[in-house]
Amino acid sequence: MENKHIDSSFDKDLNKINNNLLKLGTLGLNQFEKCINNFGTQNLEEINQVIAFDEKLDELDDKIQKSGFEIIALRSPRAIDLRRVIVALKISTILERIGDYSRNISNRTKVLIELNYTDLPGVNIGKMGQKTQQMFEDVLESYTNEDDKLAIKVRNSDFKIDKMHTEYYLEIISSMQRNKKLAPIGTHLLFIAKNIERVADYVTDIAEQIYFLVNGKMLSDHRPKADETSLKIPE
Amino acid sequence: MNLKNDELTKSINTVGDVFVKDARIKARNVNVFYAEKKAIDEVTIDIGNKEVISFIGPSGCGKSTFLRCFNRMNDTIDICRVEGSITLDEENIYDKNVDVVPLRARIGMVFQKPNPFPKSIFDNVAYGPRIHGLADNKSHLENIVEMSLKRAGLWNEVNDRLISPGTGLSGGQQQRLCIARAIAVSPEVILMDEPCSALDPIATAKIEELIHELGNDYSIVIVTHSMQQAARVSKRTAYFHLGKLIEVGKTKDIFTRPQHNQTEAYISGKIG
Repeated sequence: MENKHIDSSFDKDLNKINNNLLKLGTLGLNQFEKCINNFGTQNLEEINQVIAFDEKLDELDDKIQKSGFEIIALRSPRAIDLRRVIVALKISTILERIGDYSRNISNRTKVLIELNYTDLPGVNIGKMGQKTQQMFEDVLESYTNEDDKLAIKVRNSDFKIDKMHTEYYLEIISSMQRNKKLAPIGTHLLFIAKNIERVADYVTDIAEQIYFLVNGKMLSDHRPKADETSLKIPE
Repeated sequence: MNLKNDELTKSINTVGDVFVKDARIKARNVNVFYAEKKAIDEVTIDIGNKEVISFIGPSGCGKSTFLRCFNRMNDTIDICRVEGSITLDEENIYDKNVDVVPLRARIGMVFQKPNPFPKSIFDNVAYGPRIHGLADNKSHLENIVEMSLKRAGLWNEVNDRLISPGTGLSGGQQQRLCIARAIAVSPEVILMDEPCSALDPIATAKIEELIHELGNDYSIVIVTHSMQQAARVSKRTAYFHLGKLIEVGKTKDIFTRPQHNQTEAYISGKIG
């Protein structure tokens, strides 16, 4: 971030909100990475840690919202400064929501452990999570470097997550149709898959905000989508 | 000078749309010199009909100097020389046959410091219509004064003391009196040179509200150091730096995503 304001305390305020946002991004990524790993390892202690840690993300989001509000009120930021503050506020809210999804996935993983969960054929939640995690890492890098090309790449990756989600959705329904005893497990898996798909959507929202930050305009074309779960009737 | 707009566009370095469809004032390749020093450098811009446009830029950038070209106020400075072409409704205002007195009625001006005449409130507003012979009789003159004070948002505050001295009003009221004085002669364009810099926030808000209303009937060019004010009152903003017109565009674009890095630096407080 370029720091050349005549009033250097303005730079300090902007740096503070930027650093807190990067911190929230890193914490959010760690939470998501852990919840995906824990889904595989079923380590209850680690799962509980993720659930408990979510409030730290909420606190940091509150801090960012407060400092962004103060910058707008006291500094009247313009142009790139205005975009930086507005985008920080939006991304912070998104990261807080991603944190909620990580917590929800963790809660459902605990239930799955109680249900003696084993993998369903054709459903690889871990793979979907890792691909989303990669998008998450890339979007944070894109923000740090204000790299709009990487942001577009992240945005276009969402298509793959949508496809996986649709595929797993159909497989899970199919498994539940074959064996009705799998309904409780299948239901939680549907929600977990949906949560991961939503995280990828949110990461895509962040990518679009980064594009706006760099270019001062929104991406005009429609986002590539492939989630057909609301359109398809399982056979 | 008979260059077409397309040809001119190639010859200027300003970013953004300097031309508008319904221009009242057209400034073309304007240079202003104070003795040998060039204060304005090849500035080309249109001022549209009934548009409010702000000129912004750091001190010494030439924005006031350029503003003063529009009603030939620079003529009063001996060492000042203006080159290029400025027209009002296609009429060259620098033509040797142009009388500056009626010109300054058509293009009125409001200054940084309120400067009412040492006369009554009524006579301040009546002064212009009288010298330009705009009133047919006493009641017509009274009507012009009343309408002008109403348009300037001052009538309700002064209608019971029109014979009191204008200099006895508060700073904000004096400035609105000066605006009433300017509009009493039915100008086409109003130039405002930092009209609120000596006023408190409430008086400033009243002037800005007035600018919004007057913008429905007049072209208004406002020079301001307050970027918030430029953002609030104008539809178009022009950024000057070291005598050059760097960028001009819609105010909402200039303040959210300026095209030129010098504009960006100035409006975000990185150069002054």
